[in-house]
Amino acid sequence: METVIDIRGLTKTYGTVRALDGLTLSIPRGGVYGVLGPNGAGKSTLFRTLLGLIRPTEGEATVMGGRIGDPTSMRRMGSMIETPRFPPFMTARQVLEWLARAHGGVTSAEIDNWLQRVGLTEAANRRVKGFSVGMLQRLGVAAALMTKPDLVILDEPTSGMDPPGIQEMRALIRSLADHDGVTVILASHQLQEVQRVCDRVAIFNKGKVITEGRVSDLTASGERLRLSVTPLAKALSLLGERATLDGDAVVAAVPRAEAAAAIKALVEGGVDIEEARWIGADLEDVFMSETGWTGVQEQNRAG
Amino acid sequence: MLADAIRSETYRLSKNRTALFWSVLFIPIMGVLLATLGFVVAKANEAKLAGKLPPELMKGGPLDLGLTLVKSAGDFANPAILMFVLIGAATIYAGDYRWETWRLISARNTRPNLLIGKVAVVALVIVLATFAALISDVIASLIQAAVFGRPITFSMTGAAATDFGLLTLTSWARILQFTMLGLLGAVVTRSLLAALFAPLVIGVAQFFLPQLLMPMGVTTDGWLLPLLSPGLATDLLKAVIQGGMAATELPDHAVAKGVIGLALWIVVPFAAAVAWFNRQDLSKE
Repeated sequence: METVIDIRGLTKTYGTVRALDGLTLSIPRGGVYGVLGPNGAGKSTLFRTLLGLIRPTEGEATVMGGRIGDPTSMRRMGSMIETPRFPPFMTARQVLEWLARAHGGVTSAEIDNWLQRVGLTEAANRRVKGFSVGMLQRLGVAAALMTKPDLVILDEPTSGMDPPGIQEMRALIRSLADHDGVTVILASHQLQEVQRVCDRVAIFNKGKVITEGRVSDLTASGERLRLSVTPLAKALSLLGERATLDGDAVVAAVPRAEAAAAIKALVEGGVDIEEARWIGADLEDVFMSETGWTGVQEQNRAG
Repeated sequence: MLADAIRSETYRLSKNRTALFWSVLFIPIMGVLLATLGFVVAKANEAKLAGKLPPELMKGGPLDLGLTLVKSAGDFANPAILMFVLIGAATIYAGDYRWETWRLISARNTRPNLLIGKVAVVALVIVLATFAALISDVIASLIQAAVFGRPITFSMTGAAATDFGLLTLTSWARILQFTMLGLLGAVVTRSLLAALFAPLVIGVAQFFLPQLLMPMGVTTDGWLLPLLSPGLATDLLKAVIQGGMAATELPDHAVAKGVIGLALWIVVPFAAAVAWFNRQDLSKE
């Protein structure tokens, strides 16, 4: 598997806090790669390290084949880390003109094209001082993409955007990966968005990767059987600990290989089955279970 | 790559009209306005002020614009210009910390290139400020000639042209040196205020240094004071260039002391800023 990023034992400490804790991760070339994790999991620290903004305490990483900070590799990357900020006296077009000069090789026509793609044509000559968060995000995305990078890191690109904007951004990210051959690394708290857009994800917690894989594989492992049955109590009793009540149905965590036997047992036990269908675990379930977030919430409630 | 850094920094400054106004235009405009006011008041009270003002102001022969330029080049690096050019320089040096924009540009170039780009643009601002100051002095001279009815001439011998060039270069270097302390202040503290105040505080301390050290036996004839005080180093160079009475009292190796003193205070803060910036985490710009 060809990789764009290889990370080996990356650690970053701030005093006693380990923002990254011996992180090891390889990100393949192509597609959209999601980076998930609760606040403070180390996502932004990782991005800042990969961009050469901060120095790792230990470990090493290569980006596009070059060491972190290697100008040749870095110039093949585009990035938007958190909500971008810009010199307030500049207009949106001037911001892109300025960054185009910093990078070189971007024409005015390409700047116009990117302003149009992110929906800022009408606001192109307005000072960014009066921009909303969503508009700043759009401009940040244009700034990250206008240099035609091979690798793009987008940290919360839809934060502050309205629903149509989120949809446009999702389509843009997918199009970059599918049509322009760009590898996109995306961090977002919008788990549904990640599930829709990403091919693979890594879930971070406390500076480490706790699970990684294809979105379809991660969600398939949590696949469950949803049964509309009567009587509910009898079905629950027959299925035992594997079943939970979900409204007027029972959801059973049974592997596909055992599903027929489970249904047969229910029928033989006098349970009427109106409907049986497979439901996949969504990324939110995987995220909650991997990060232990649900447990923490329950403990808080209990406390 | 360095060209990209200079190009982008120049472009950004060109859009920052506030910084350009205060660092390049404010002092020349005020200079012309105040000079004009002074000439008009002096003319209106010519009889009362006779004998109190320098006679060459109101009377005398033709007003030589060539001499005006040479004098202006020598006086250019005055405290007012230093302070106002520093406004633009501080904005350039500390802007990316203030606006959190290092994350946008630091991956596009090497860190030394980014700082050299900033210094190059500050050097350009000083050139613009120099031109603006020279032009304002010429305008003030023309107004003076008009108010007092003096004829205007222009003479610039080869020697005067050389003096003009060397004095302009010396003044330019002195202002650049002053702003270098702002660069170091900005990088170390990530603060615009430090970029403004570090040079002012250090500059004031250096101004009083001779008075502090002389009682300890340190004289202006030695190497120590020009090396510790770039202002003094600049004065040595200007005295050498301008000649006259001051030049006859110059210490030995005055040119070397002046050049080394000035260069030291340009190179050392710059090298320290680059070294610091190279190791700096830009996690909280």
